[in-house]
Amino acid sequence: MTRRPDATLVVGSLLAGIPLLAALVGPLVAPQTPPGTTPLLPPGTEGTVLGTDVYGRDVLGLALTGGLSVVGLTVGALALAYAVGTPLGLLLAATRRRWLDTAGLRLVDVALVLPPLLVLLVLAATGRRGVLWLIVGAAFVQLPALVRLVRSAARAPGRLAVQEAQIQAGEPWWRSHLLEPARAAVGALAVDAGTRVVLVVTVLTSANFLGAGLEPTSPDWGVVIQQNGDSLFLAPETLVVPAVLVVALCAGTNLLTDRLLDRREYV
Amino acid sequence: MTTTAPAPGTVDRPRTLPRRLVGRVAVAAGQLVAVSVIVFALTAALPGDTAEVVLGQQATPEQVAALRAQLGLDRPVLLRFADWVGGVLTGDPGRSLVTGVPVADELAGRLASTASVAGLALLVIVPVALAAGVTAGRRPGSVTDRVITAVATAGQAIPEFASGLVLVAVFAVTLGWLPATAGGGSFTGPAVLVLPVVVLALNQVGRLARQIRIGVVETERAEYVVHLRRLGMGERTLLLRHVLPGALPPTVQQLARVVDGLLGGVVVVEALFALPGVGAGFVEAVQGRDLPLVQGYALLFATTTVVVNLLADLVSDRLAPHREALR
Repeated sequence: MTRRPDATLVVGSLLAGIPLLAALVGPLVAPQTPPGTTPLLPPGTEGTVLGTDVYGRDVLGLALTGGLSVVGLTVGALALAYAVGTPLGLLLAATRRRWLDTAGLRLVDVALVLPPLLVLLVLAATGRRGVLWLIVGAAFVQLPALVRLVRSAARAPGRLAVQEAQIQAGEPWWRSHLLEPARAAVGALAVDAGTRVVLVVTVLTSANFLGAGLEPTSPDWGVVIQQNGDSLFLAPETLVVPAVLVVALCAGTNLLTDRLLDRREYV
Repeated sequence: MTTTAPAPGTVDRPRTLPRRLVGRVAVAAGQLVAVSVIVFALTAALPGDTAEVVLGQQATPEQVAALRAQLGLDRPVLLRFADWVGGVLTGDPGRSLVTGVPVADELAGRLASTASVAGLALLVIVPVALAAGVTAGRRPGSVTDRVITAVATAGQAIPEFASGLVLVAVFAVTLGWLPATAGGGSFTGPAVLVLPVVVLALNQVGRLARQIRIGVVETERAEYVVHLRRLGMGERTLLLRHVLPGALPPTVQQLARVVDGLLGGVVVVEALFALPGVGAGFVEAVQGRDLPLVQGYALLFATTTVVVNLLADLVSDRLAPHREALR
């Protein structure tokens, strides 16, 4: 018996796969234009496929090189968020002092009422912009949800019996209260990462689009759109090409993760 | 989990509505205090000289010193914070560094524009999400459900600036049907608002529709609904009197997130379409490094989030009080 391919999975893979491929392999094959090339050349002129942008850079080359920062920043922000959020959540779950747990949670919850983009924009307003601040800001706004998730996974009812057995067997505290709960939380964290990717991509590309992120000369998709904002009617492809890549990346990733995580929804 | 019998006379009674109300308002007030500390810390108390950052590298030491005095940066942090909070509480959170206009006036002047865009978007979002969520939820697993769910899933993930640019390229640049921007000035007509509202709706409809779908699917499977259907109750009556009232209370929280998301999305959409609202004002203040304005906008956005969540809590409390009593 042959199974029909899942349409959502196929569409999701295609949508996410193309920009991802462009981001990871693109920099190796991207065409370059020599310095001094005429800005805003129409597509197909002077050896370019999609023309040039306001700085005279090949639009196809920008599309192929600008995804690396999107992927790199997202991976960096996610890694930092999990590196900080996981131990925090484990410590809150492990503490016997209830006030400490409550205080920790309330503190983390404050970050929940700060819109993510607001944090990055305020950082930029005070001169804190660039790769490091983008990663720190984007990671910071993920913390409330992450800490709560890890704390819940480590405190799942099924874990208590295991923990009790470990304590009675004389296992060290760090093993029974930190290492084993961390292992138990890995599954939940993997699922969370699938859905969190899109949130992080959105906040990072939006910050770059608003001029609150990377240097204006960066080929990042968000920055290129921001820098070419005035060329919308003159050379729409300079904006539309990176915009379509961001649309495909976000829509495809969400479709893919949603479908993979919830395959039994329709049964 | 172990439970112990309550001591005589201390039986856990569900908290009354006024007590719950006071509790929620107290939590919201605490959040606002914490947010004001964070906003102040981010803008004024982090390491680095704010005056130098605002004026840039070309500034002379005299200019930096003058701005430091103007911003009160030469005074202790706690005093500065107390002054700022005092100003916020008395409705005077300072003046713009660029225009000299009071921050409160600047914010108030832009709020009407933002409220009209967000309000219009809500008028589109709620009925469309309701129709899509109910249609999908009543036939789970059907082709219609799959298509609606897929479109909602993809739509909610797309950043507003990217979907907005693609729509502008199609409907303003290629087809010429709609204006691309408001031109940075006041509204020139309702057509200016079409694309911003569509972009905001595109992102938020999916979230709400999916939540409504889940509510409808669960309520449709509830025994009382199955029983009423067996008894021969008409589908229309069943939907309006039983399925929707059962499915909608949990969506209030999602609606709060949608309203909050709309106000967050407005930052990007107003910048993209040059609409003169608080979102564009915030971005301009950030680009001009106008710190008193940045502080004002940041506090406004965070306050909106706190108030919207507080209202959502109270409304869902009213719609389904038994859930709250069980907490």
